[in-house]
Amino acid sequence: MDLFANLAHGFAVAFSPINLLMCLIGALVGTLVGVLPGIGTIATVAMLLPITFGLPPVGALIMLAGIYYGAQYGGSTTSILVNIPGEATSVVTAIDGHQMAKQGRAGPALAIAAIGSFFAGCVATVLIAVLGAPLTKLALAFGPAEYFSLMVLGLIFAVVLAKGSVLKAIAMIVFGLLLSMVGSDIETGASRMAFNIPELADGLGFATVAMGVFGFAEIIRNLDAGAEMNRDLVQQKITGLMPTRKDLKDSAPAILRGTALGSILGILPGGGAVIASFAAYTLEKKLARDPSRFGRGAIEGVAGPESANNAAAQTSFIPLLTLGIPPNAVMALMVGAMTIHGIVPGPQVMQKQPDLVWGMIASMWIGNLMLIIINLPLVGIWVRLLRVPYRLMFPSIVIFCAIGIYSVNNAPVDVILAGVFGLVGYWLIKHDFEPAPLLLGMVLGPLMEENLRRALLISRGDWSVFLTRPLSAVLLGIAAFLLVLTVLPALRSKRDEVFTESEN
Amino acid sequence: MADTMGHSATATRNTSVAISFCLLAVAPQVFEFIWSIGTIFGWGTGRGPATVLISHATALVAGAPAVLIGSIGGDTKKASSDVLLALIYSYPIFAVAIVTLFMTIRSAQDYVGGIVLMALALFALWASSDLQGMRGFSFGAGTAPRMFGGLLVALGAAIALTGLLTDGPSMAHYSWRGPLFVMAAIVFFALAIRPLGVVVSAFASFMIAATGSHETRWLEAVIVGACLTLGCALLFPYVLGLPMPMFPRFLIQ
Repeated sequence: MDLFANLAHGFAVAFSPINLLMCLIGALVGTLVGVLPGIGTIATVAMLLPITFGLPPVGALIMLAGIYYGAQYGGSTTSILVNIPGEATSVVTAIDGHQMAKQGRAGPALAIAAIGSFFAGCVATVLIAVLGAPLTKLALAFGPAEYFSLMVLGLIFAVVLAKGSVLKAIAMIVFGLLLSMVGSDIETGASRMAFNIPELADGLGFATVAMGVFGFAEIIRNLDAGAEMNRDLVQQKITGLMPTRKDLKDSAPAILRGTALGSILGILPGGGAVIASFAAYTLEKKLARDPSRFGRGAIEGVAGPESANNAAAQTSFIPLLTLGIPPNAVMALMVGAMTIHGIVPGPQVMQKQPDLVWGMIASMWIGNLMLIIINLPLVGIWVRLLRVPYRLMFPSIVIFCAIGIYSVNNAPVDVILAGVFGLVGYWLIKHDFEPAPLLLGMVLGPLMEENLRRALLISRGDWSVFLTRPLSAVLLGIAAFLLVLTVLPALRSKRDEVFTESEN
Repeated sequence: MADTMGHSATATRNTSVAISFCLLAVAPQVFEFIWSIGTIFGWGTGRGPATVLISHATALVAGAPAVLIGSIGGDTKKASSDVLLALIYSYPIFAVAIVTLFMTIRSAQDYVGGIVLMALALFALWASSDLQGMRGFSFGAGTAPRMFGGLLVALGAAIALTGLLTDGPSMAHYSWRGPLFVMAAIVFFALAIRPLGVVVSAFASFMIAATGSHETRWLEAVIVGACLTLGCALLFPYVLGLPMPMFPRFLIQ
């Protein structure tokens, strides 16, 4: 009954007026920014990170979590209405969702997306509460060697499931690891690759790099000649909001399957919401009696992926809260936020900060409820916002980002660094490198190095420790197996198939 | 496929790629030189431009080969940082540039991407070359950077190799206007926020950034910029309580 006591405690924390307000603001802002094309969840959280500095830690994390799943919702709204996925997780939603909108059934599509997400959110919340404590116990059995292997597994997962070239994804991770080493060495205090620049002595700021690589780079790319085409927004008429009984009957099993799939994929490091939505779409298409309906406005094609991505978005908090390991780039940003507030994510958080953990879990459920209430009536407003021309939107985003980065440390150099990373990000996009693995590598870098050093120190320099400790060996074995599978051409062609489907 | 027109086109492109790699090979040296010009006016610290020019030139032309020959002969004299930069970073890139001339590049996007990553990794290897390595079985400060730097060199080379072996997209088109003005807005903001305050720097940066798009309509941009500046000036210092100057320093005093 510990579980219920904990949940009750969590709800007590989350229902305090200030936290309710934070949750509402987060959900609203997240939806708002998620609706804006070109700004994904990662960029949103990165941009809004500085805003939470002045808040108490619980409120700040509740707000950030709200922004996170709010952005998921907002992304699906635009992909259905105007065929512009606000972010990667809703790319598949656009396939069938926008077809439905074209047939004048935008209302049911939006409603099913919201209902599916809400259901998935509820299930995932319970799952976090149930799995949190046992996983924490498991985490206590983890030594440095196991941690290192787990992080290797997480990074390999990110590689396997990233789209595009495996080699490039690995290179991006290693690049991120290298970037994380700028600044003072944790153990010896030696200044590494800092070139006597005082601002670099403390290392590259995570928010700085994230905002540069995602925020500024995205803006610069959207200004390219020819990119106007992708930004063209079409106004669609929405007639009738509620789904029919048949819609509900068709989508109910899809929602259940999507929730289950998303919950599992979310827990695995490196998986996360993007993969969950693609996997759910593929699953629905495989199971359907008439697969040809997909791509022409099948409601299951909206229900499955939308539930899956929301479930995954929430269960990905589990590895963060129990093991302190961020399974994807957004969670990596959450680690950054926690560190700024002086909280070290990991097994001890559950015991030392029960307010924070359970309050956040409870607030997720409340946030989902708020989202379903906010989202449906506001659809008309979101569509109007989409008509704000990009020529006015982009300078505003630049200024907002610049002030945001400056306010992190009151350091003008950080702003320039973010600009430089914007150019780096633009270059990466032009050469088809994905920036998300870079960010994951950068966050995991210090943890990985520390645990590697510690493991080797304990084993007296014996590298075989990673294979002789059973848990670590299993983790590395899975990682190696996954990598081999990815390199095998059979799975490769299948991977391509999944992703080409989404581009139609 | 192998008509003369197409062939000569690849040949010219290869030359330009090779030339840009050569520029990349001396980029840190050139950057330090430009940076050192500032010391004449008393900005920043470091070596003067003349010293920088002479020491890098000697390192590139004479110093590094001397060390190379010396190390073969068993002479273990410690090389200076400039010589190391030439040895670790510049020479390998020069070598790549020369090799590029004789290659058929099938995917310029991958080839150039891989080589530039390799250059970054080599630069990181140089930057961490002064750090301590392994001490017995415990890691020194430089062990991990060297490990991952070496790994990235290998990965960059592998990506470049795929660019030679498999067909793929050629170089994407870069535009200059957007990046230039957005960067200008960012740099201006960074330089102006301390002396000029939020109001002036935010509005000016907004206008500079707006120049980056040919779609901008000026009257509209001025109005929106003013509203946004007002919003930011209220939001950040007052609502969020972040300390930052509001107005130019000379006006307040």
